[in-house]
Amino acid sequence: MLKKLSLAIFATAFVGLTVPTSGAQSDLVMAPKFEVDPNFPLELPKHWVTGMSVGVAVDEQDHVWMVHRPPTISTNERGADQDPPTGECCTSAPPVMEFDQTGKLLRHWGGQVAGAPYEWPLSNHGLWIDKKGIVWIGANHNSDSHILKFTKDGKFIAQFGKAGAPTNSNDPVNFGSPAKIMVDDTRNEAYIADGYRNKRVVVIDTETGARKRTWGAYGNVPDDASLGRYVPGEKPTQQFRGPVHCAMLSADDLVYVCDRQSNRVQVFTREGKFVSEMIIAPKTGGDGSIWDIAFSKDPAQKWMFIADGKNERVYIVDRKKMEMVSSFGDGGRQPGQWFGAHSIAIDSKGNLYTVETYEGRRLQKFVYKGEQMVPRWQGVPWPVKK
Amino acid sequence: MRFRFVLVLSSMAIAATPIAARQAPKGAPPSKQAPAAAAAKPPAFVVDKLWPMPLPNHWVYGSITGLAIDSRDHVFVATRPASVAAGNEAGLMSNPVTAEYCCLAAPPMLEFDAAGKLIASWGGPAKEGPNKEKEYDWPVSTGGIAVDDKGNIWITAAGVPEPAAVAAGATGVVPGAARAGGAAAPAAGAPAAPAAAAATPPANAGRGRGEATVIPGAEGAPVAPASGRGNAGPPAPADAHILKFTRDGKFLMQIGKAGATGPRDSKTTLDKPADVFIDNAANELYVADGGANQRVVVFDATTGAFKRQWTGHGGDFLRISSITVSKDGQVYVGDRKGNKVQVFKKDGAFVKDLEVAKGTLTNGSVWDVSLSNDAKQTWLFVADGQNSTVRVFNRDTLAPAGTIGDGGRWPGRFYAVNNLAMDSKGNLFTGEGYEGKRVQKFVKK
Repeated sequence: MLKKLSLAIFATAFVGLTVPTSGAQSDLVMAPKFEVDPNFPLELPKHWVTGMSVGVAVDEQDHVWMVHRPPTISTNERGADQDPPTGECCTSAPPVMEFDQTGKLLRHWGGQVAGAPYEWPLSNHGLWIDKKGIVWIGANHNSDSHILKFTKDGKFIAQFGKAGAPTNSNDPVNFGSPAKIMVDDTRNEAYIADGYRNKRVVVIDTETGARKRTWGAYGNVPDDASLGRYVPGEKPTQQFRGPVHCAMLSADDLVYVCDRQSNRVQVFTREGKFVSEMIIAPKTGGDGSIWDIAFSKDPAQKWMFIADGKNERVYIVDRKKMEMVSSFGDGGRQPGQWFGAHSIAIDSKGNLYTVETYEGRRLQKFVYKGEQMVPRWQGVPWPVKK
Repeated sequence: MRFRFVLVLSSMAIAATPIAARQAPKGAPPSKQAPAAAAAKPPAFVVDKLWPMPLPNHWVYGSITGLAIDSRDHVFVATRPASVAAGNEAGLMSNPVTAEYCCLAAPPMLEFDAAGKLIASWGGPAKEGPNKEKEYDWPVSTGGIAVDDKGNIWITAAGVPEPAAVAAGATGVVPGAARAGGAAAPAAGAPAAPAAAAATPPANAGRGRGEATVIPGAEGAPVAPASGRGNAGPPAPADAHILKFTRDGKFLMQIGKAGATGPRDSKTTLDKPADVFIDNAANELYVADGGANQRVVVFDATTGAFKRQWTGHGGDFLRISSITVSKDGQVYVGDRKGNKVQVFKKDGAFVKDLEVAKGTLTNGSVWDVSLSNDAKQTWLFVADGQNSTVRVFNRDTLAPAGTIGDGGRWPGRFYAVNNLAMDSKGNLFTGEGYEGKRVQKFVKK
């Protein structure tokens, strides 16, 4: 105890000397620190602009992929796309884009191709690259009931579910506006956060798309009855309010599920047995606080990073303790700020990437600076200006 | 330097674009100095990605309507709180509150020092007196602003601008992807009409699209942002005036009255004036008077007394947007929807026209005009918010000399670049309307 205390005093004193902070030193905690890289990515070519950006993923080469929604770009912003053109700028970037670690644009593709054997989503949503290099895409339009698999070159591999198909949370085939996919490469299983209409986690076989397991909140059999609007202080609902916005498998085989508008993360075993839950920012209404999750890159995945596109923060959570330790970021359109921090991903070096929906519409990189003594809220994580 | 990105001034390559205009000065003989001037290179700029500093208090900007820089190189920004969608971006100011940590609309007037630190903020409705009288009419929407040599701030009450044009093509249908039985794809992507914001739900309120839930009713009625004057109640009278404040927000003077428009040659009334320029030496105030007036009108800066006015040359201005006066006495008037700058003498005598990206439709290409700060004011800058770029022209020959920036939301790019200002060091500052909602600094190299 004494040893622990003196260590803490030493640490805070050290930080107090080197890092000027306005808060009391006792407010400092040991947690990962990040710094936005305002030069990432490099500029897009061809007067390309992005729509609501709703999926980000990092592949085995540490390339960063994003997906956005071209149809959400107003005619006003893409005059060069109009017929006849109403201006010289701008045009929509392709929906899927790949960047290398320097931020340089590599491959880009996506959208419906006439005669193609797939149904491109009416509203793109969620992105995952598995260890085989397969790109998985979700979809959240009301009539999107499917997910898609492509090669990194944009060659179609498979579609699971049928666009426009009616569905419910016990549907063995279709999905209800599925928000995100995560692949368990060792077991050839995909965890689908399903979604905007359905209120469940569904696990499928990555090759056949066959349903293997399904569960709702607390591991209950899912039910689609409307739960109405979230009210702060309410008794926790026994079903997901939704959207079920992420379902992320940890290295120790726990599944972390974003129940976005209930402001909660629920944790399950791989089989769907409820383990624990955590509520963050419980006063949050509207879109809710739990949008997406990424795990830190240490083998134990000590930290969990949660994107909140309503309060415009990334929460840094001690995964074992399920305790929020610190957070960073704020609202705005400048580097390190967000409007609709929608999705989050991490590379092999522990750098974080976010994309923003709504009018944020950017991919941003947050460089990992190691664990340091930091305030409970780190503010907008700007680099020191030279 | 590490965080700066060099913007290459793209020469005249824009002419390759089908609708790019070949800007040829009209109505004036070729300048004798054209060859020499053509050889001059406009300054190169690099965006400072970390200017200004983040706002405090979880404040977010609304659409930027005006920029002005004083003799101390402090940057004044007029922003429109009513354009911030309380329903999703500003949950701390919705009713009921829907956020725990962020965000709120910033006050309408912001002052930054040269380092980009916010040092003052003010603006908003005047307090009512015992008989409901008000000292001044705070605008439904601010427009362009100016700062005079005494450091006082002039603010136009420009009215809510037209919404971003949203046509059928903006709807969510990916070509070929429409499906029978599928939900109609709404134009959900259209940014909430900037302005309009007052009554426009968040862009994403639609079921199943965007991030809004598909649970009926779960999202609740979108919460309308605060009205322009910040009060519920009957609609405020339309903007038709200009306000003068000290730089810390003390009211000094008003020209015109909210809700009171008159004939186009009125000596006392205005109609949604878009921009102002202060000629300190002559103590005159130049106004780009909008609405139904579409004229330049000049007032005595001390008394507010009418001095003279004129309308567009060769036809009315289609949508007057901006005005600036050079040290050598030329008046540059931006006609946004006319895709042109008209140049006059101070008495209103026409000098010449500059056509800017003349094929531009919808909102037009000339959103603001500004001059470089060298002794000769060699360069004319035009903020082209429709084409998301700043165009540079040789002021003497009106020959195009390059562009700065391109469309997009990353630093150094633009959405609806709406305002320009230059500091004493020649650094260029921009403000963005619609959903751009940023102030950016481009450092002169």
